Amino acid sequence: MLKKVLLLSVTVLFGMQAGLAMAANPDTGPGCGLGKLAWSDYSHQKNIGPQVLMATTNGTFGSQTFGISSGTSGCTNDGKVMAEQKTTMFAQLNFENLSQEMAQGQGEHLASLATLMGVPAEHQAAFFAMTQERYTSLVKTGEASPVAMVKAINDAIATHPVLAKISTR
Amino acid sequence: MPRTQSLPRFRLANNRYGASTSTSKPRVFLTRRLYIVLLLFMLLLAPALPVDAGESHENAYLVELINKGRQAKLASEREWHLLLHYRKDLFGGYTSEQDDPGYFMSPDGKTDPQAELDATLKQFFSDELVGRSKQPAQCAFIARYTWLKQRLAFDETRLPQLACERFERWFADFEAQSITLIFPSAFLNNPASMFGHTLLRVDQRGQTDSTRILAYTINYAADVPPDAGMAYPIRGIFGGYRGYFSTIPYYLKVQEYRDIENRDIWEYRLNFTEHQVRRFLMHAWELGNASFDYFFFKENCSYHLLALLDYADPSLHLTDEFLFWTVPADTVRLIASKPGLVSGIAYRPSRSNVIRRKRESLPSEERELAHRLTKDVGELKSSALSRLEPMRQTFVLDLASDYLRYRIDTTGEPPPELKERNRAILAARSEIRLASEEFLVEPFAKQPELGHNTSRISVGAGWRNNSTFEEQTIRAGYHDLLDPEIGYTPNAQIEIASVTMRTYNRDNQTRLERATLANVVSLSPIDSVFYAPSWKINVGVQTIKHQGCQLCSNGVMNGGIGASVESHWFAHQIFFAFAEAEANYSRAYEERHRIGGGGTVGMLSDLTEKWKLLVTGTYLRYPLGDKSDDFRWTVGQRFTLLQNLALRLEYNHRDHDNDVMVSVQMFF
Repeated sequence: MLKKVLLLSVTVLFGMQAGLAMAANPDTGPGCGLGKLAWSDYSHQKNIGPQVLMATTNGTFGSQTFGISSGTSGCTNDGKVMAEQKTTMFAQLNFENLSQEMAQGQGEHLASLATLMGVPAEHQAAFFAMTQERYTSLVKTGEASPVAMVKAINDAIATHPVLAKISTR
Repeated sequence: MPRTQSLPRFRLANNRYGASTSTSKPRVFLTRRLYIVLLLFMLLLAPALPVDAGESHENAYLVELINKGRQAKLASEREWHLLLHYRKDLFGGYTSEQDDPGYFMSPDGKTDPQAELDATLKQFFSDELVGRSKQPAQCAFIARYTWLKQRLAFDETRLPQLACERFERWFADFEAQSITLIFPSAFLNNPASMFGHTLLRVDQRGQTDSTRILAYTINYAADVPPDAGMAYPIRGIFGGYRGYFSTIPYYLKVQEYRDIENRDIWEYRLNFTEHQVRRFLMHAWELGNASFDYFFFKENCSYHLLALLDYADPSLHLTDEFLFWTVPADTVRLIASKPGLVSGIAYRPSRSNVIRRKRESLPSEERELAHRLTKDVGELKSSALSRLEPMRQTFVLDLASDYLRYRIDTTGEPPPELKERNRAILAARSEIRLASEEFLVEPFAKQPELGHNTSRISVGAGWRNNSTFEEQTIRAGYHDLLDPEIGYTPNAQIEIASVTMRTYNRDNQTRLERATLANVVSLSPIDSVFYAPSWKINVGVQTIKHQGCQLCSNGVMNGGIGASVESHWFAHQIFFAFAEAEANYSRAYEERHRIGGGGTVGMLSDLTEKWKLLVTGTYLRYPLGDKSDDFRWTVGQRFTLLQNLALRLEYNHRDHDNDVMVSVQMFF
């Protein structure tokens, strides 16, 4: 504990230079510079203290600017998600919301995934029913790899009596 | 053939050095190495040297454009000032709020609009890569280019337009149709977040209510290292961090605010034409090149987004309204107050509020069933669940899953069984082949533009210990427990920078009665699902009567932690209790100080929609310094007259010290 406190005060004292160095490399996770905000350090920001501090400076995370990043995987160097990665990145970053909505047979994340996969709005009910029916296997696949889950959904669309005909992709 | 425009110039310059070195006789004492260093040095200088005859044609057109621009006084036009973020400074000149040298083409660009305009025109003739984004100036500053091209009627044969593929790809990818202002409101148990945050969403063509999460946002934030610690607020206030713009997909912002931080989100769709949306994105692209020093109070997220909106529609004049600070909720109020600017408002409840409202809607046995399910998945096989109609079952299961996800997302290291239970509940849920019904959530706090303004001025009169008094208070921000609660997080207080002057008529004495640096209270009602501590912090000065001293200034630092519960036995009440520690400094005390601890209990009650009551009692004992104790109690009432006008009646009692006051409070 004492060690932790010590370490913390050292970080506070000398953190500024280190901070600058870190700022130069803002990207640490999946997505276009989103890494910092939700994925690496989020749990620490939930304590009341840091939360106050965070909010006091207007909740400032994530710093991928367009135009400067060196281009993380799946991203253009202008901070956008590459077209061919949009669906898998969405599935990966929203996996928990997607699995909940697949079980519930509706929801905006699921509707957005259907849209990304080329299922027009008027046929999405069939898509929702299909993912609800296959919930257990899709989530199992998705926990191992969101890419595989997207592929499994694609395969399911291809063999679906209705969806196969109307999917635009 | 744009790409060749400036390359010959560089080559020409090189050639000239080639020529000059070949004609000069190398001195004997000039070693070869020194010679190379010198040569490199001169090469560096090369682009700055006057151009030669080969470019006179291009130069002539540049001179012509510069003259034309000067005649038309373009550098003093509002459009130019918006593009370069110039603000009038104290000396009558202009200074740009932009802090990245790469944003200016002239070394004097930050303070000299004319020099910047001339230098920008010059740079348009070059395909040299400029700024942080490393593009030719025509593309890096595409809004400047578009405007100047139109105003000065660029002759394309003499100043060819470069293809800006990166911008066009970036722009096309938005499929932009309109802009929405996003306001995540405060999160519970953190009154500091009442200041809020704003960002903009670029809505896509063909987007529906369920696919708007796919849109990109334009977000401005300070780049803060993950372990900034105590340096964070200090550097945040004094501009110690750099702020950058980013395009984060909206689905991630929704996760951040709604799922993880449990903040309600308000969405204000803005009425912009296609042309204005394009202007907006062109300027946003330019700002990708830029960084501003981030100042928490004024030049913060909201301020720079307003500047972007001002550029999209220069008739708005949004940034002009903020002189000293920019509170995000104020910017929302301002935008909502512009006639015709907002075309629609949408509410996106936080997960915790969804859970609250769903629980409220259930009979108690189903509420308890949902709660049991989150603790023991064996309940999935219980008759309590199976005897419900299928649609009721889906509702109870969905609530249980919501709650488990709430626990998972708000716990630092969630125990794995929470996730397993959620999976089991969802698997059971998927077996009921029905789509969940949409559940409409009524917000607990209405949208911010219905709330009172940020700053407050009060005028009051009263009686203290046989003397009448008048007093005036001015408070910079923001909201206290008794202020009208519409539009604000319930049961939370944050007062910043408040000063009260009081005149006691008997002694004809005017004094600083109270001053508050910060006074924060967070009451989080505890129930079977949500349990967070309540807490408070107060730093300031007040006037006390102590021993011989009738009116003595007393510095206070107080902090407490406790709990609160909610009840509905008459209208609505919150009961709370705190354990607290306090340090006082005053010349009234022996050794000028006292330190101690004690507790506070109290009740906050909405008697009617407009009438609110706060009662507190505190006992503190000070074993250090001036050994003493203190018993005090207060009764305060507020009656709302208008959105920005309220009436107060307050009674404060301390040991032989009674103080009653009536005041009128105006928010501005």
